[in-house]
Amino acid sequence: MKKITILIFTFIIVSATFGQKYVTKNGHIKFYSETPVETIEAHNRQVNSALDIATGDFVFKVLIKSFEFEKALMQEHFNENYLESDKFPDATFTGKITNLNSIDFAKDGKYEAEVEGFLKIHGETKKVNEKGTFEVSVGKIFGKAVFMVHIADYKVKIPNTVINNIAEDVEVTVDIGLEPVKK
Amino acid sequence: MKKVLKLSLLVFVMGLVALVLGYKFIYNKPHPDFEKAKSDFSISGAELFSQFKNSSQQAASRYNGKVIEIKALLNHVETPDSLTVAVFILGEGMFGDEGIRCTMLPNYRKDIWTYEGKEIKLKGYCTGFNETDVIIESCSIVQ
Repeated sequence: MKKITILIFTFIIVSATFGQKYVTKNGHIKFYSETPVETIEAHNRQVNSALDIATGDFVFKVLIKSFEFEKALMQEHFNENYLESDKFPDATFTGKITNLNSIDFAKDGKYEAEVEGFLKIHGETKKVNEKGTFEVSVGKIFGKAVFMVHIADYKVKIPNTVINNIAEDVEVTVDIGLEPVKK
Repeated sequence: MKKVLKLSLLVFVMGLVALVLGYKFIYNKPHPDFEKAKSDFSISGAELFSQFKNSSQQAASRYNGKVIEIKALLNHVETPDSLTVAVFILGEGMFGDEGIRCTMLPNYRKDIWTYEGKEIKLKGYCTGFNETDVIIESCSIVQ
């Protein structure tokens, strides 16, 4: 999977000279878990992402240790026990917009998007199909998506002592503002 | 009977104290103070970036999760969202500039601007390399 990620990143990088690529280094991903016992929320505002508007190739990479929690203990458990960030330092998505024909990146507006690809968390890769929006506004592209992640699919083990504190399905919100690659 | 009552009360009070202390010092413990933390490594920005760029896995196992002090020329400051990010440009890829990006602690968000274009020493918590940049969080200016 790492090879595929590198290949897609390389593909987008190599073809970037043609001016159809949009990037950000400050994307935002929110992780939200709600149970009757506890609500847990974490934010990462250093998401690296790239979009090729000609092919629809779309990638993002997020460093696990950059997620910030309100409580230090939660952040510690998230890194050390659940996501094992020393062993698996990042999460990635590599995929493609499948309804590229219905999005006009040259015209301001908000477009529904369907994205298909591979999400890698905790070293486990799963094929995903999600819906989101791309809003084109004065030369920038704002991508938004909200989807659920079933944490057991990614072999994240939650100890029995806190099993009621963490939802089986966590909500992930992706919010990125992409700009054309500066030459 | 009185003894049993007293003992029960004592156990109850001790349990209550343990709960309060546990809540305050474990469940609600503060985030690490990276400003006061001792640096695990002191290195030039160029060297740190070069190590991640050339051997990302080796550099990750050495620097990820550590407090690092870097010395480099501060190219510019960005303020995306609620962050203030000190940007050190140390290379160029097809995405544009590459290097080190340091998010500043609130106390340093104003002062960092005065160092634009100058060499500076920053200290913070390294969270890794994302293909283009080394990310260092909770940074402070080292005098």
